[in-house]
Parts: sequence; C-alpha cells; structure tokens
Amino acid sequence: MADALLAILQRPNFLTFVILFLWGFYIMVTRYNLVKKLIGMYLVQTSVIFFLVSIGAKKGATVPVLLSTTEPVQVASYANPLPHVLTLTAIVVGVATLGVGLALCAAIYRKYGSLDEEEILERLE
Amino acid sequence: MSQQLPAILFLLPLFAAISMPVVCLKHRHWSQPISLTILAAMVLVSILNLQNVIHHGEVRYVFSGWTVPLGIEWVADGLASVIIMLLSVLALLGVVFTGPTSPKALGGRIVHFYTLILLLISSMIGIVFAGDLFNIFVFLEVAAISSYALIGVAGGRALFAAFRYLVLGTLGASLYLLGVSYLYAVTGTLNMADIAERLPLLLDSKALVGGLLFIFIGLGIKMALVPFHAWMPESYTYAPDSVSPILASLVTKVVLLAWVRIIYWVFNASIVINDIPILPLVQVIGVLAAVIGAFLALAQRSIKMLFAYGGISHIGIILIGIGQGNQTGFAGGVFYLLNDAVMQAALFFLAGVAFCQYGVRTIDDIGRVGKQSPWLAGSLIVMALGMIGLPPTGGFFGKWYIILGALEAGNYFSVGGVLLSTLLTLAYFVKLFEGIFRQTSTQLDVQPGETPLSFKLTLGITTVAIMLLGLFSAPIVQLLLNHALPPGL
Repeated sequence: MADALLAILQRPNFLTFVILFLWGFYIMVTRYNLVKKLIGMYLVQTSVIFFLVSIGAKKGATVPVLLSTTEPVQVASYANPLPHVLTLTAIVVGVATLGVGLALCAAIYRKYGSLDEEEILERLE
Repeated sequence: MSQQLPAILFLLPLFAAISMPVVCLKHRHWSQPISLTILAAMVLVSILNLQNVIHHGEVRYVFSGWTVPLGIEWVADGLASVIIMLLSVLALLGVVFTGPTSPKALGGRIVHFYTLILLLISSMIGIVFAGDLFNIFVFLEVAAISSYALIGVAGGRALFAAFRYLVLGTLGASLYLLGVSYLYAVTGTLNMADIAERLPLLLDSKALVGGLLFIFIGLGIKMALVPFHAWMPESYTYAPDSVSPILASLVTKVVLLAWVRIIYWVFNASIVINDIPILPLVQVIGVLAAVIGAFLALAQRSIKMLFAYGGISHIGIILIGIGQGNQTGFAGGVFYLLNDAVMQAALFFLAGVAFCQYGVRTIDDIGRVGKQSPWLAGSLIVMALGMIGLPPTGGFFGKWYIILGALEAGNYFSVGGVLLSTLLTLAYFVKLFEGIFRQTSTQLDVQPGETPLSFKLTLGITTVAIMLLGLFSAPIVQLLLNHALPPGL
C-alpha cells in the first residue's frame, strides 16, 4: 500500500491529470447550469492536453533545433516536438468546440430565457 | 494520377465548402447546385478510386512527400474505398433531398448551411482514409462540430439536443485523445502501420490495454453505442429534416469504421483474439446494443425517434459481426454496415417526406400516409423488410453472414442476440404498420401539393438500393472478402 502510494506520488503529473479530469467530469455530471457544464467539459479537455504535454517533457533538453550540423545528433538533448504540436491542434479543436457550445448556450437562453437544465426541461414538456 | 484520387476526393468538398461563402455571396440560390455538382463529381471519382484499388491494390498517399512515419499518411484500401463510394452516393442523395426541406428561416444563411454539410462530408472522408491515429481525432472533431451546428439550425428543442450532443461528444473525443496518447506514450508513433509493427514487442504493457479501452469508450460515445447512446435519438429527431438523413446514415457508421480500423489494422487480428482479448467484450456490448436499442424503439411514438433507436440497435448488430474474429463475420458486419447506412438514409428520407407532405410526426398520424400515398407506404414496406431482415433485401443477407460467422466461432450468445433483436424489430414495425392501416379519423386540413421530384428520386433510389443490395449480395460480399479483409484474419 505504502509502495503504491509512493509510486503515485513520484508521478505528480499523472496525479494532477487524474484530479483535473475527474473534477471536470464531476462538474459536467452534477451541475444543472449549462455554462457550468461547458466549464467542466473544458476542464476535461484541458486535463487530457496536460497529460499529453507532460509525457512529452524531458529534463535538460532544449528546443528541437539542431545545435550543430557536424556532430552526431544527441537525442537526449532535444525535446520531442510532436506532443506539443498535437497539443496545439487539440487546443484549437477545444476552442472551436467551446465556441459552438457557447453559441448554442446563447441561442438556448434567447429561446427559453434560462440556462438551468431543469427549468428548460420543464418548459420543453 | 490514380495515386492522387484519395486527396482529390477529400479536397473537392473541402474547397467547395471554403469557397462557398465567397462564391455565393450575391447569389445564394447557387449554393445547392454547386454542392450537387461537387458531390456528383465525388461519386465519379470514388468509383474510379474503387476500380483503381481493386485492380492495382491499395493506395498509400503521403502528404507533401514527407515519408512515413514522419509524415501523415492516408490509406485507400478496399474497405475504405467501398465505404467512400457509399458515403459519396448517400451524401449526394442527402443534398438532393435538402432542396425542398431546407429550413426556411435561414434566409441568406442557407449558404453557410451548405458549407457545413460539405465540411461534414469532407471530414468523414478524412476519418475513413486516415492512416494516422491523431488525424482521426481531428477529423472526428471537425465532423462533430459541423453536426452540432447542423442540428442546432432547427432551433427550439434541437438547440438543447445539440448542446447535449456537444457535451457528450466532446467527452468522447477527449477519451479518444487520451487513449491515443497512451498508445503514443507506449510506442512513440502515431502512424497506424508503424504502431502495428511495434506492438508485438510491447504486449506486456498495461498502458496498451488502457489505451485500447479509452479509445473504445470514446468512439463508443461517438457511434451511439449502448449505454452511451443518450445523445443520439434526440439530436437526430429534432435535427432539421433535410440533414437528419445524412447524419443518421453516415456519422455513426464512419466512427464505427474508425474503430474497426483500430482493432484490426493497428492491433491486428491475432493480438485482439489472443493477447488482449477485447473481441468478447465487443460481442457482448454488440448484443446489448442490438437488443436494448430495439427494445427502446418499441416504446417510441415519434417516427424519427423510432428510426433513430432502430439505428442504435443496428450499430450493435454490426459490432456483433465485426467482433466474431473470423472472415465471414467481418465481411457480414461490413456488408450490414453498407445496408444499414442505406436503410437509415431511406427511413429518414421517408420521415422527412411524411412531415413535409402530410404533416406526420408520430405513429398516431401515420394513417394519413397509408391513405393518401400508397407509394410512400409501399416504400416503407420495403424498408421494413430490410430493417427486419427478410429476403430479398440486403438486411437479410447481412444478418445471414453475421449469424454464419457467429456459428463458425461457436458464439451462440451472439446468434441469440441477433435473432432477439430481429424479433423486436419486427414488433416495432408491426406497431408502425398497425398505425398505417388503421382507419383513422385524423383528416388532413390541407391537401398536399405535388410531390417534388427530389423526394421521389431520393426515396425511389434508396428503396431500390435496399432490394439491389440483397439481390447482388453474393458478389458484394465476395468483393469484401477479396479486397477488404484486415491482414492476418
């Protein structure tokens, strides 16, 4: 048990990811306010992005631009750019989704005069 | 030239979508003819592509010359090409159908409406061709964002349905991305063929199992798999009549195809059968989806809702076929996927025509259709035969091959699931027909006008296609067996 705990504590990035993900998921499930649901959704997205960045991190490495063209490439001294590029794309996708979500929220508010899920469901009946 | 066909197929609708707002700025009525021309060209190119793939083998398209695994690769193999042809034909019919049914309230924004439809189609082509896990994520999200907007166009209840779809769909995409990053952390690459090469050495890794499960749950939400189907019936029911055929027939099936790619091409058949046995899980969930979907359909009064639940149960049946892990089951599953796409399109065309011409939304009113239009009732009978799975429709042969595959694998549970779901499908169509042939007192206030040509065309073609898929089932399944099987199955 203590070993497992220690092993978890050695990977604070994974711990942070799990907390962020579950927190966002909890907000999505329990809140009735549509904007709060969107906030939870954004937390979930961000947690995955955080995970992706954290597995791409490398200690003592620099930007992936070759320092010298004559010496053989030292892989350990360059960070892998791919996770960061993926992250950028994922952020763009997340922003677009959030934009559409907020637009829908605005349209729902104009139509039903409320952002509370239960109130809207009552009016739908 | 023939090497460029996959890229051409994708770029046609993409460029049309992007240039649409500029070209149609002054002439908004051009937007539908332009979309039709582009999609007709796409149908031609997709036929050429299928022919090319059958005669010369698969095409691996590498973008801007960056070789794999550094660059992004698209794979046009037999499976992808068959699905792309289906997708182009159904998308063309869907856009033909949008003419008289497109939401009137849109006004000048009709141009953006067509932009979104073309964007949706191009992103689905991306999902089918993608040879790279992250590429699938991006196209999944482009497809999803366009569908949220297209559903929301209808206003009213559709807004709320679209919002629910957005929240759940984004959760699904995040889980998929999480699964992909697990696989990336284990293998260090995102290219499907490259991962497939490295996996056999890494089978001890628990992250592999975790990644596969996260991908399954994420795509499961996107393909409306029971128990993650909550978003689907509402959004397809309240979506505008003109887009629900495209959404219902294509989006969930394309996502299912992405899942097939991942289990059989990224992981290969021997790994998912022996080392990480996920196929039994797929079978069980398939059976659950097939039965629960049909069971829920029984309880519906709205005809669009009924058809949407029918679609959920068919996703389950396709998964049962795919999950058997043998050639017959796989070919049967893919063949059923083709059928199901055509049937869903036909059913939602019918629901759209029934509402536009006769104002019918629920089973209680559908008696009007039977009285006023024998042709509509006739095509509904053909669709019902297909959905239930009676010969000579494609639905029968699809289920036949799936059951053969299940018997071959000795999975009597799956056979029972398919049969039970068939019985339940029969039950809900009996309910529908009881509504049609009942002598109702509900009279139509207004006499329906002349049926537009596009209604006759779309309904006629899809109804005939349901029969043709049955009559030519043997050559099609043979084609799938020869050209669309995953390696090592």
